[in-house]
Parts: sequence; structure tokens; C-alpha cells
Amino acid sequence: MSSATASASTSASTEEVLYEVRNISKNYGSVVALDNVSMKVRAGEVVGLVGDNGAGKSTLVKVLSGAHRPDSGEVLLDGIQRHWNTPHDAIEAGIETLYQESGLAPHLSVSANVFLGREEVKKGLLGKLGFLANKEMDQRAFQDLKNVGIAVPESNRSVSQLSGGQRQAVAIGRSVAWASKVILLDEPTNHLGARQAGEVLNIIEQVKSKGFGVIFISHTLPHVLRVTDRIVVLRLGKIVADAPTSTFDAEKLLGTITGLI
Amino acid sequence: MTTQITQAPTPASRAKGLLKNQQFILVLVLIAMVTFFSLKNHIFFTNAVFANVLSDWIPVVLMAIGETFVIITGGIDLSVGSVVGFSGVVTAFAMRNLTAHNVNQNTTLAIGLLVAVAVGCGIGLINALLITRARIVPFVATLATLGAFRGLCIVTTGGGPVGEGPDSAIALTVPKYGPFNSPGLVVVVLVVIIGLYLHKSRFGRYTYAIGSNSFAARSAGINVKAHLTKVYILSGALSGLAGFYLYLRLSVGSPSSGQSGELDAIAAVVIGGAALAGGVGKITGTVLGSLILTTVTSGLIIIGVAPNWKQVVVALLIAAAVFSQGLRNWTKGGDL
Repeated sequence: MSSATASASTSASTEEVLYEVRNISKNYGSVVALDNVSMKVRAGEVVGLVGDNGAGKSTLVKVLSGAHRPDSGEVLLDGIQRHWNTPHDAIEAGIETLYQESGLAPHLSVSANVFLGREEVKKGLLGKLGFLANKEMDQRAFQDLKNVGIAVPESNRSVSQLSGGQRQAVAIGRSVAWASKVILLDEPTNHLGARQAGEVLNIIEQVKSKGFGVIFISHTLPHVLRVTDRIVVLRLGKIVADAPTSTFDAEKLLGTITGLI
Repeated sequence: MTTQITQAPTPASRAKGLLKNQQFILVLVLIAMVTFFSLKNHIFFTNAVFANVLSDWIPVVLMAIGETFVIITGGIDLSVGSVVGFSGVVTAFAMRNLTAHNVNQNTTLAIGLLVAVAVGCGIGLINALLITRARIVPFVATLATLGAFRGLCIVTTGGGPVGEGPDSAIALTVPKYGPFNSPGLVVVVLVVIIGLYLHKSRFGRYTYAIGSNSFAARSAGINVKAHLTKVYILSGALSGLAGFYLYLRLSVGSPSSGQSGELDAIAAVVIGGAALAGGVGKITGTVLGSLILTTVTSGLIIIGVAPNWKQVVVALLIAAAVFSQGLRNWTKGGDL
């Protein structure tokens, strides 16, 4: 449905648009990080965001996640204009971001990580005193992770005992468990082996099928080509391509990123 | 299709598992020490000596419990000994004044207790502000308050003890229930409650999360600065309580009370299995660690060894604790 020019999409498909930025610009001093950038993600769609280093990917992710405010332009969730003052505002609105460096607290259990910052407390007086409902959280974490295809035999196991791929699976599972609309994944397959990266891509496919909008930022072009429906290419702060993944092959994508095509 | 997070169960036998459990090892060490000292001198195995060990243990465990929270967050509180000294001195002045005005002894003691804890909270707040607002690393921030408040102890008292408080103070520290005195029982209950709070509550969960990965904690929406502030205030409050106990025991506020208490507190926490890098630590470990420290001190004196050997024994215990931590991490395949 979508084409290289966003304005060409019909009104029917705009109704499905979940999250959108319009004409976003952001400067750091005299450096133009984003120049009149527009992009959107629909429910059940995985959009790949690619570009060379310095193309503006990180800045765009920070605008989308609420970490940075754009100098100009609009941010729309479900067609309604929003202003994120902090990432917390975006999280509250249903947008979860998985930063490549944030990770998990390795000394805590899987379920403690899934529920970090959103712990459930026991019923009654003990709960008022802040005592945690660990059993319930363990069970729910187990279910939530299972729903996106991550099987944890014991969600009370400490994260430090998991491998890199397993940790990333838990981190994604955590975002999915809490997101209600959009998930931003910043380099989720970085530093992972081929098999573990494959598992992470499987999870992304499952997440997509549940009707979330997923924005997938990656340098690993085969992963982008495999898992996305549409690819947005940034170069020097501008969007140079926004087209269905089927219209790209590895060579064309690389050429678009580097500007050689 | 599903990502299986499986881990082969440790093939080690139950006995081997127990030997990897620091708490279990600490209990063994404690039993071995009591046995050794009792065999060397049967006087050690008496109620009077146990009472003395427990009375020494109270201020150490109070400081060490607060220090456990701080160390789990990845910080350190070097000021706990000075808090003990300064809160003891300030409460001594307060109670001397109240006594001079013929205020009822129990009221005087109650106000004295509040004053000591308030002084501790105040110094804890100063530590927290230096760390979270002025962004001074905990080691340096609390080194500064260690020096400043020990100095104030001397300046305010002229270097001498502050007495003339309520007469009934010292009676409170006489053993009443076996080797325990009344404050000792209160401290045991307090330690249990704080232990449950560390291991079972949201507050405790955040304490571990911050020490484990403060970036992850912050991005999960935890107010890291506010939490650290509470943790340093808690450490100060418990040390203030320790200062009040030492006042009761001596019936004077001594400017040298709690001197080098920070070393005992940190030693107890480390022997108890906490990692200075943060994210790891248990209240039971700290309780046992502090009990081992005070047992060594009394034991060496009773078997006639020069008390300065205590330092050497404590150093060996710390080395052994840290070594066993490294060993357990290594066998788990963790980072070394």
C-alpha cells in the first residue's frame, strides 16, 4: 500500500497509522541532525530504520521515544498530536523503547526485570508497606514471555545466568509485555551470534502478528530485509527512501544508504 | 519457534551446593570460632561472655545493616563511625540539658533516642546531597563527612566525655533475657524487619536494581537519586541508633565513640558476601559477618592474645570472603 512518497497513501491506510512524525527537524548547534523528516508505522507493521553512522537514526529514535524534543514538526499517536516531555510520557502512552545499551539488571531475576519499575505488591497491609507479590509476578512474567515465544523454565532465575541472546529475548519480551502500541528496537541483534539473532528476529515476527507497530533500527541489512515490511532510509538527516521491503535487495539497500545509487 | 531459556541444573550434590552458600560457610566459621575459643578457655562459653559479645555486636550490626543497603547500590558510606560519635555527643548534650531541667528520665531517654536518630538522618541527608546533587563519588563524599563530624565531636566536647545524663541509661544495657539486654532484643526485631524490607519489598528491589545496572533502573522509571537519598538517610539513621546505644552503654557521649567503626561495618558486609561493585548482598550475611567480627574481638582477648591480632584475623576473613566470592562467580561462569 505504501509507496516512496508518504502523501500518496490513501485515507484508508492513514487511519491505520499508529505512530507518526511529520516534518521533524532537529539541530545540534550548527549541525543538522534531522531535516524535515516524516515517517509512520501502522499496526502490525515492522518498519526498518536504516542509515549510515551520523545519518540521524539515533536522533530520530530519541525523538520517537520521547528522550529528545524536536525543534520543529509534529509527533502523532493514533492521529492525535502529542508532546513528550520525558521518555516516561511516551512509555505511559504505550511506546516502549529497547535501547541497545540499557539492557537488564543482571543480578535480578527474569521476572524482577520484566516488572522493574512496575512491581506488583501484595494485597492488604503488606502491599501498602511495599511488599512485593513475587509469586504472581513470576507467573505473569512467565506467561507474558511465553506469549511472545520466549520460554523461561523459571522466571525467578537471575539474568546473569542467561546467555546474551537469552538476555536480549527477555529484554524484548519485557518491552512487548508493557507496550500497548509501539515498540522501538534499537539494534536488538547487535553483538549476538547468528542463531541467537535468528531467535530475536522470530520474536519480532511474533510481536508484529499481535498488532503492535514495530520500528526496527539496525545496521545488519540481512536482518532488516528479513523481518521488516517497509524500510525507511536516512542519509545526512534526510529521508531518502521509504518503500516496501520487497522493492529492495541487499545491493539496492546498501546503495541507497551510502548514496551510490 | 520459541526461544528456550534452559539451564542444566547444577550437577553438584546438595552438600557441594551448601558449601557454595556463603551463609552456610559463615555459620560454620562462627561455630568453629566459638568452639576454638571455648576449648582454649572455658570461660568463653558463658552467658557473661556471650552477653558481652552481643553488646559489642549491637552497634556494629546497626552500622553494617545500613552499610549493606549502601553497598548493594554500588556506593559506600565511610561516615558511619563518625555518625555514631557525633550523634552520641549531641544526644548526650541534649539529655544533660533535660536532666538539668529535671525532666522525667524516660522522657529524657525517648527524646535522646529521637535526637540521635535525627542527627544520623541529617548526616545521611548531607551525604546524599553531596552524592546525588554535587555529584561527588560516594567514597569521597562520605570521606569528607567522616572527617568533618569526627572533628566536630572533638570541637564540641573539647575532647572529653559528655555525662550528667539520666542515671537509668546504663541499667538498660544489663543482660536481661539470657545474654540479651532489652535494646539488643529491639535491635534483633529491627534487623529482621529491615531484612524483610530489603529482600521482599519494592524498596529493596530498587536498591538491588540500582547497584546492578543504574542505567536500566533509570530507564525503567525508577527515581535513582531519590532512592539513593533514602538509602544514605537509612544508613545515617541506623548509625545514629548505634550512637545512642553506645551512649547507654557508657552513660556518656564520648567523642571517640565509633572511631574506625566504618571499617568494622564494611568488613562485616564484605565478610557477609556483599560485593563492593553493587547488586549483591544479604542481611543474614551481614548479621553473621558482624557476629564473627565481635566474636573474634572478645575471643582473642579471652584466650590472652593481644587484641591487635584482631586486625590480622579480620583481614584474613575479608580476603577469604572475597576469594570465595570470586570462586563462586568463576564456577558459575560469571565475570571475573
